[in-house]
Amino acid sequence: MGLLNPAFWTFVAVIAGIYAIMALGLYVQFSLAGLPNFGHVAFMAVASYTMAILIVRYGVPLPLAGAAGIGASIILALIMGVPALRLRADYLAIATVAGGEIIRYLALNLPDLTGGPIGSIGLLGPGDIATYNQEWQAFLDMLGRLAAPIFGRMPSRDLVMALLIWGLAIVLIWLGWLLERSPWGRVLEAIREDETAAVAVGKNIVAFKMQALILGAILAGMAGLLLAWEIGVFSPDDYQPTLTFYAYLILILGGMNRIWAIPVGSILFSLMYTGTRFLNFYPLSLFDSGSRAFLRLFLVGLLLVLFMAFKPEGLLGDRRRLLLEK
Amino acid sequence: MSVLLEVRDLHKSFGGVAAVAGATFDVAEGSITALIGPNGAGKTTAFNLVTGFLAPDRGTVTFADRRIERWRGDAVARAGLVRAFQTARVLTRMSVIDNMLLAGKDQPGEVLGAAWFVPRRVARREAELRRQARELLDLVRLSPLADAMAGTLSGGQRKLLELGRALMVEPRMILLDEPMAGVAPVLAEQLVEHILRLRAERGLTLLIIEHDMDMIMSVSDRVIVMDEGRVIAEGSPNEVQQSERVIEAYLGRLSPDGLGT
Amino acid sequence: MLQQLAQLVVNGLITGTILALTGVGATLVFGIQRIANFAHGEYLTFGAYVGLFLNVDAGQSLPVATVGAILATGLLALALHFAVLRPLRNRGLVAMSLVTVGLGLMLRDLLFMIAGPRIRQLRIDQTAVFDLGLVRISPGQLAAIIMTVVVAPAVAFFLAKTTIGKSMRAVADNRDLASVAGIDVERIGAYVWFLAGALAGIGGIMFAVVQGTFDPNLGYQVLFLVFTTVVLGGIGSAYGALVAGFILGLAMELSTWSGFAGGLEPRFKPVLAFVALIGLLLYRPQGLFGKARIV
Repeated sequence: MGLLNPAFWTFVAVIAGIYAIMALGLYVQFSLAGLPNFGHVAFMAVASYTMAILIVRYGVPLPLAGAAGIGASIILALIMGVPALRLRADYLAIATVAGGEIIRYLALNLPDLTGGPIGSIGLLGPGDIATYNQEWQAFLDMLGRLAAPIFGRMPSRDLVMALLIWGLAIVLIWLGWLLERSPWGRVLEAIREDETAAVAVGKNIVAFKMQALILGAILAGMAGLLLAWEIGVFSPDDYQPTLTFYAYLILILGGMNRIWAIPVGSILFSLMYTGTRFLNFYPLSLFDSGSRAFLRLFLVGLLLVLFMAFKPEGLLGDRRRLLLEK
Repeated sequence: MSVLLEVRDLHKSFGGVAAVAGATFDVAEGSITALIGPNGAGKTTAFNLVTGFLAPDRGTVTFADRRIERWRGDAVARAGLVRAFQTARVLTRMSVIDNMLLAGKDQPGEVLGAAWFVPRRVARREAELRRQARELLDLVRLSPLADAMAGTLSGGQRKLLELGRALMVEPRMILLDEPMAGVAPVLAEQLVEHILRLRAERGLTLLIIEHDMDMIMSVSDRVIVMDEGRVIAEGSPNEVQQSERVIEAYLGRLSPDGLGT
Repeated sequence: MLQQLAQLVVNGLITGTILALTGVGATLVFGIQRIANFAHGEYLTFGAYVGLFLNVDAGQSLPVATVGAILATGLLALALHFAVLRPLRNRGLVAMSLVTVGLGLMLRDLLFMIAGPRIRQLRIDQTAVFDLGLVRISPGQLAAIIMTVVVAPAVAFFLAKTTIGKSMRAVADNRDLASVAGIDVERIGAYVWFLAGALAGIGGIMFAVVQGTFDPNLGYQVLFLVFTTVVLGGIGSAYGALVAGFILGLAMELSTWSGFAGGLEPRFKPVLAFVALIGLLLYRPQGLFGKARIV
């Protein structure tokens, strides 16, 4: 697809919106509650698999299956609560990656349950191709028909999706912003800096942290579902730890403590990520499209290092209120 | 006067070393009681045990007729028993007034989602708490610094802030851990003044760990002396000062902060 | 069944030895530098690829390639320490973890870009089999055994008898005390990175020969095995890592023995390590030989 193909950019917009919601979930857990969750991707995996299995194998209607997917993310958050509340920062980081990898390994190696390495396509066993997002596409088409008068023609599914997702993302970020400024957010800010002080003034820090964890899980679950519905297929490979670090990079790019910087971070990230295919000048033209994938990941790593080193507050963040020194 | 805090046979060991070995004492409501003893006597550990920051191995703590030895720190604070720390733990990245607002009691805004569903109720309570905070800041004479970052405050100012913050929780009893330590004399005098006024005007009960004997003598009704994890003497300041057992404990330890520093 | 058991024990010991050697370097570095190095797996990969370059492209023998890998990886670790990790040291645990994640991504994908994603192997005839009656050993495993026999005693001697080695253990055990005793903690810290890199380098070669084939994902796949070894042995305890490596290696292999109620399916072996890691972090973070610090 060429640089000026609108369909491509619509797709990028969709991905950016979904990643923004994913990053928002991480924001709540990490920037608000100070929990370095390196296994964020697991919430997305659990939601998607639950939803797909229910639709494909049990014919559950999409809204219900989606809700069940979110429920699965919540359950995972509750399980994660045990280590999250007891481990110090770097141990928690290790434990959460390990947890996420357990989920991925189980998904990879329990083909009867999850379709194994082939992923969602294999949910009905070999020989059958399982799909789960017909209802979602019908829903998008319906929205498209409703919106057709505005556009003068029937908008593409991706366009509807992009508008829908960004509408949702903006609303969610706004709700998160309200939360951040409320007394609830204030308690979390105190917990981030000094838990003992928060306890000394009577705050039940266990409850607050669990709430942040669950909220973040719900958001990640939503992002997982939306991504699954947009792409139409997924496999365990889509839920590698790298995805969690995309979310961290998005937060870091925009500013780890500025909730409204999340769209900026996710758009920049998506542009960088998808834009590498357009870098058709030397020496990057030496890389064929397969190698571009590695270049992208290399850039992700490089940006992580550079930003953490030189601009940890991100492009829009506030250095003064940065709380990384734990 | 009724007994507000009752501590019975409190024990706590760390890896074989007994920090507190059978501490027993009472604190009467409305009194100002000092807890003194050589370094390592177990005073701060006793504070931690009483306020739920540490779990005792054995023993009971009764506050306002409720057994609280198994309670967590935040629950104890909500019940009205609030403690301050040896080095004031203020939230340096929040403003002074936000530090105060944080400590406010019964905030509907602390419920997840309240900001979305009942914003007016949240705002109302915030306004109330803001008034209360300003009053208390006036009381501890930190009002001019209300909007400053708590991190810019001096050590003594931080102690005052911590005191104000403790008052926001509307406690019945406050535990102060070496409030005079590292505080400039001017602010120290203010602290003493505040302590006396708090008792007089609000009926607050205070238990204070201190080494500054002058302060103790002038302020406390009763003195409890701890040594090696247990209570070795109790009584009025004069009685305790003249007790042989107490003198022995201090001199025997060759501690630099003996009597009458 | 007995034969399977014997074979599993041999496999487990060999895996264990790789984890043990790599673990010694990792635990010293984690203990002294107080950092969870998420790029550590990539040090192993780097070692394997340097070995590959020397062995296959430059036509050197395996021993020469191995020595080259050890030196190169040691230098890499040292370089990253000075260039990236030390300057950023005071940013906090989470920031450092993110930085090491970034470094790992960079290293891994650089290797993907330069060396390509296809599977490679070192110049060892993997088709031969040494039949020792009860068990069979592949040439790769034999090579690994030889390397262990050469390297492990050297490392043990180094740690036990040389001044630098003893200093390393002292700093890992109690940094402040070591500093007061006159040990230049900064310099030892740098040496430790070199050692960790060197051991990762040989660990990478050993994994490469034992597995037979590898690609740039080699190290990433064993990163958590290394973490588990480090935590199991007690962070900072070199001897602990040595023991823990063997325990983990054996445990993983033996778990698949049919004598244990049918045994775990081999593809779930890594899950065992993950679960062990989480369990340890939660309930016994000091592992077997570490000190119980207040976490």
